[in-house]
Amino acid sequence: MSRTTTLCLAFLAFLLLPVMGCRSGSGGNSNTIKIGVITSLTGSNAAFGQAHKNGYAIALNEINAKGGVLGKQVELDYYDDQSKPDQAVQGVSKLVDQDKVAMVLGAYSSESTRAIVPVLTQKQVSLIIPTAVADNVMETGSQWVFRICAGSGSFATATLDFLKNNGDPRNMAIVYENTNFGQSNNKSMTEAATKAGLNLVDSEGYQASSPDYKGLLQRVKGKNPDVIYFASYLLDASTLMRQSEQVGLNPRYYTSAGTGFAAAEFPTQDKGAGKYAEYTYSVSQWLPSAQWKGSKEFDDQYFKNTGTHPAYHAMEAYAVLLTAVAAINNAKSTDATAIRDSLRNINLTDTPFGPVKFDAKGQNAHPVLVTQVQNGQYKVVWPQSAAEAKPVIPTPAWSERP
Amino acid sequence: MHFAYSALQAILNGILTGSLYALIGMGMALIFGVMRIVNFAHGAFLMLGMYVTYALFLRPGLNPYIAFLVAGLFLFIFGYLVYMGLLRPIRGHTDFMDILMTMGLSLILIDGVQLIFGADYHQINIPLLSKNIHFGPQISLNAPWLVSFVIALVCALLLYYVVMHTMFGRAARAIAQNRYSAPLVGINVNRVQGIAFGIGAAAAGMAGGLLLPVFYLYPEVGNQFKLKSFVMVVLGGMGSIQGAAVAGIVLGVVESLTSLYWGNEWALAVDFVIFILVLSFRPNGLFGSQRV
Repeated sequence: MSRTTTLCLAFLAFLLLPVMGCRSGSGGNSNTIKIGVITSLTGSNAAFGQAHKNGYAIALNEINAKGGVLGKQVELDYYDDQSKPDQAVQGVSKLVDQDKVAMVLGAYSSESTRAIVPVLTQKQVSLIIPTAVADNVMETGSQWVFRICAGSGSFATATLDFLKNNGDPRNMAIVYENTNFGQSNNKSMTEAATKAGLNLVDSEGYQASSPDYKGLLQRVKGKNPDVIYFASYLLDASTLMRQSEQVGLNPRYYTSAGTGFAAAEFPTQDKGAGKYAEYTYSVSQWLPSAQWKGSKEFDDQYFKNTGTHPAYHAMEAYAVLLTAVAAINNAKSTDATAIRDSLRNINLTDTPFGPVKFDAKGQNAHPVLVTQVQNGQYKVVWPQSAAEAKPVIPTPAWSERP
Repeated sequence: MHFAYSALQAILNGILTGSLYALIGMGMALIFGVMRIVNFAHGAFLMLGMYVTYALFLRPGLNPYIAFLVAGLFLFIFGYLVYMGLLRPIRGHTDFMDILMTMGLSLILIDGVQLIFGADYHQINIPLLSKNIHFGPQISLNAPWLVSFVIALVCALLLYYVVMHTMFGRAARAIAQNRYSAPLVGINVNRVQGIAFGIGAAAAGMAGGLLLPVFYLYPEVGNQFKLKSFVMVVLGGMGSIQGAAVAGIVLGVVESLTSLYWGNEWALAVDFVIFILVLSFRPNGLFGSQRV
């Protein structure tokens, strides 16, 4: 065979690859219903993507053990966006065009979610968002997008509510990672804090892959805020807290927009900030100790599967899959429009994540809690009705800690 | 008074970070000075150094401050082989080919590491990480940064000594001055260039190993340092290793002060503003041109 022929054949084989992939994908097994999942299994947000996956797995087991939906087993079709928005968009094409999924759940980050909202809207496939808190993911006016978690606006309100009733500090600085998640929380908090009459002394964006935040933290220290409000992912949250000690930054309250500061790994020594996580506040959407029926069972099952306790990200994935299956069940079909209409009317009263019901914009009204890390554990300190512990105020200075 | 302390603290932190930049920049400058190769794989070499150190930390549990030496040795051999196998055959054509070759190599290394280790971020935790050394009530330095600084300083001085005072160094400088007359005085150009490339790669690899305890690790980690090393080479005078070393420290301090006074987001932008200004107004670098 001449070299040219070989090359041509190789080229042809290359062209055929996606077609072959398509065959095996869409043909599939007619005894299953496929639901697409986009999340960050690798990359900087892998810790959260893995939490998603663990949460989905528990829901999937429960659903299929009960006989699946419409007499078929449910199958999850994962796409790893590698913590990158452009990959998430490619995931939509793969899941919708090739694999013909009934609907899509995801993505993990606000950045990736913001990128896939218009694509799914254009393809007319429903998306249920488990964890993206940036409020702009819900502001496109799309009829195909539903969100189960509370957004950045609710995070800001809950944090301010807690502060007002616990010492009523006057000055705040915001430190946020500079992508959609952080920017959105910065915007929400700036608006809400100004409205609440707080004095915003500083607002600092940063690049989440930077090794050194000491300059930034020194700058914040110079502004002498009573409260710092962080919007950070996990690795940056750990580095920020460790370096806060190095520069001797001692605000009365370290508050945060959840996420990195609420991750199960954050208070651990190996994968998080360890002792530097102590006393930090975070908003939270769910904890294993939540009152909702099934929370404890979920926690037990999660611990059995992984050896760790879940944070709210895993629960949100779990709840999203329950909701998706309920919607397909009510729709009695896997037709995209039928599923969407079914989601509009969904009314789940007792999931372990609390009630799920979407308003006209597709948003679920979910309450926000405030927690504080005490002895390496997240303890609910606000609202009063759900509090498990009293908040430690002010945060002890670094020099006074053991 | 607080003002003076915070500026001093920022400058000290900048010097610590800058010392690692300096080591990376010196490697890049050596390669550029001796061979006129713009090494687009320099960031990938640094990343490889980090992964070697990381792998040794995981398996035999080697302290990263020892394992970085292994990373350096590994990168030296790897760099030498890369030069002999990939770069030497295309030397003497256009510079563009060197750029494409190193760029391609960089992509292969990054994707190769991603295949083996995945795209996940990793972090190591050593007890030293939570130690801070206080100088009076206002100034404190983080111990691992300080240790890295001392080691980087020793490596930089060693590198300087090798280039300025050994037979190899003299040969390398001769090649830098005139690549065509060097063989006339009996210099084995290929071998010297291969060794120079290896040393340059080893400098990046060691810097990577030293960065590991204070940073996170992911396959594309080298890219940001690659860009910084371009800035250092230009700032330091296009291939002068002592210039690049000084430029590294300058860069560290400028970044640190920028994030103190203007905000963290500006740090990288300021790097490149300096880069463009120097290229436009002082194309021979801040300290004048003195190759290698």
